[in-house]
Amino acid sequence: MSQLNVNNVTMRFSGVVALNDVSISVNEGEIFSLIGPNGSGKSTLFNCINGFNRPQEGKINYNGYNLNKTPSHDVIKTGISRTFQNIQNVPYMTVLDNVLLGAHNRIDAKFTLNRWFIRSYREKEEALALEVMDFLGIANYESKYMSGQPYGIQKLVEIARALMPKPELILMDEPAAGMNDQETYEIAKIIGEIRDRLGITVMVVEHDMNLVMSISDRVGVLDSGKIITVGLPAEVKAHPKVLKAYLGEGFDA
Amino acid sequence: MKGRYADENIKWIPALIGLVILLPFMLKGITFSYKYYLYILNTIGIYLILTVGLDILSGYTGLISLGHAGFMAIGAYTSAILVDQVGLPFGFSLVLSPIIAGCFGFIIGFPALRVSGMYLGLTTMGFGFIIRRLIIALREWTQGSGGLAVSSPKLFGYTFNGDWANYFLVWTLAILSIVASRRMMKSKVGRAFMAIRDSEQAAEASGINLAQYKMMSFFISGVFAGLAGVLMAHTNHFISTDHFDNMLSIYFIIMVLVGGIGSIYGAVLGTIFIVLLENLIVPVIEEWLHVLFQIEAGDIESLIFGLIMFLFIIFQPTGLYGMWLKIRIYWKLFPFNPKQRFT
Ligand SMILES: Nc1ncnc2c1ncn2[C@@H]1O[C@H](COP(=O)(O)OP(=O)(O)OP(=O)(O)O)[C@@H](O)[C@H]1O
Ligand SMILES: [Mg+2]
Repeated sequence: MSQLNVNNVTMRFSGVVALNDVSISVNEGEIFSLIGPNGSGKSTLFNCINGFNRPQEGKINYNGYNLNKTPSHDVIKTGISRTFQNIQNVPYMTVLDNVLLGAHNRIDAKFTLNRWFIRSYREKEEALALEVMDFLGIANYESKYMSGQPYGIQKLVEIARALMPKPELILMDEPAAGMNDQETYEIAKIIGEIRDRLGITVMVVEHDMNLVMSISDRVGVLDSGKIITVGLPAEVKAHPKVLKAYLGEGFDA
Repeated sequence: MKGRYADENIKWIPALIGLVILLPFMLKGITFSYKYYLYILNTIGIYLILTVGLDILSGYTGLISLGHAGFMAIGAYTSAILVDQVGLPFGFSLVLSPIIAGCFGFIIGFPALRVSGMYLGLTTMGFGFIIRRLIIALREWTQGSGGLAVSSPKLFGYTFNGDWANYFLVWTLAILSIVASRRMMKSKVGRAFMAIRDSEQAAEASGINLAQYKMMSFFISGVFAGLAGVLMAHTNHFISTDHFDNMLSIYFIIMVLVGGIGSIYGAVLGTIFIVLLENLIVPVIEEWLHVLFQIEAGDIESLIFGLIMFLFIIFQPTGLYGMWLKIRIYWKLFPFNPKQRFT
């Protein structure tokens, strides 16, 4: 069953056509990668799904929810969570609080009131975050301030925050950008585990071709706002248009 | 470290309570003019309730307010009218008046959804002006610019009369405000506020309704300012529009800045620092200027405050509280790695 449906979406920014009649669908349980040169509209597509941008044309549906109309802060309630290309964290809050930020909708008013007076509720809140932080191997950063943490840790904290609401689909915008080989390998492993162990569908934008080819079930290619092709990693890799557009002319495949 | 989170640094509070109880007795033992110092301490207590609330709005949520004296005025006048003219018990007004001030905050929150930064500063400053005009216009209840006499606080049949009684009333509420606001800022509400300040995208993606939480921040801040206003009215026994002029709003922002924006203890430290400076140091400086140079320094106070704010913003942007954290970390690590700093 197909979960996320993007149908004929066009997004223009005063003259710039960032997305041009884009249609793709992401199936439940798959790891779907979106690749394409800089400025091809990958982040814009995420922003459209997420309600930050509103496409002029086309429809975006997710499990029966009309995402064209859903306010950004309600998108998480449909089960879609996301991370950002340029890290979006709260520097003057601890790592733990940054992760807990993602649990916003899981903590209700009654819980918040109780946690004022009852210590065990505060511990319960902490345990909520530690579960995810253990999963990502950042539990020992808990009480550190976000600012001053290494880049790799900040990226992981963002993933942790995005996992906190227990999403069904996570959108990751360049999770491995700016990381070294070792860290990229770790990220690849984590993306696999997010799908395999947590059962979350993953849609990921990435420039690292090795990463994309090794983890993806399917790959979609954007170029200048248009989808060139969607297919299995091996197919996409061999696609002549992709070689030309994304990997550059004379790329040795 | 598991479990540390649950404590939320509340271990400070018993020491603070002890100090607050002992301080007036110590002062009485030391000096004959202790009544004057009690009066200063009461001012600190009242102001810090307001600055804690202002810090929630401007420090935590990143929404500047240059009109907080306006909210204070609403609390003060509402309570004076409710108690002395409508005849409600003080205890009732102590709860209701801050909520009314909070509702005004809620209304001011609407333009805050559209403007930010300097424009928000000007909007809130305009609000301060409007409230003062409004008080003068409603002279039937407020006696206009002439000022209004206010009764003493009465709770559970007890009348708080004089600086001693007021001191304990004010500081009980001040400590409650500190504890409550710290708890709130550590909860999902505080996290939402800080996320709005630092990354609206992260906030929205996490499910935070920006409009709703910005309004909530204004409301909460208005409640604290209103409470400060109620206490100010009933302990001072007299209020007029001069008590709530716009310069006071600026002083409140300076207190928060000097203490360390975005931390409750910072707001408390900044308030203590500025009020002590104003009442103890500034008169001495004025005296010296007069004796040494024959200068009649009329408005030296705002000059000094402006200079201090300037110096803090340039050299110590994390404020007094940030300074303290640095010192604490230094001694914790001493003599190992003394270069390590709080970031
Ligand atoms: N808010 C905006 N206002 C105006 N133009 C925009 C906006 N957002 C994106 N664009 C434009 O849309 C195009 C697509 O940008 P987008 O960020 O989606 O690219 P991308 O594929 O994510 O690139 P990168 O690999 O560099 O992250 C670019 O030309 C960009 O300048
Ligand atoms: Mg991008």
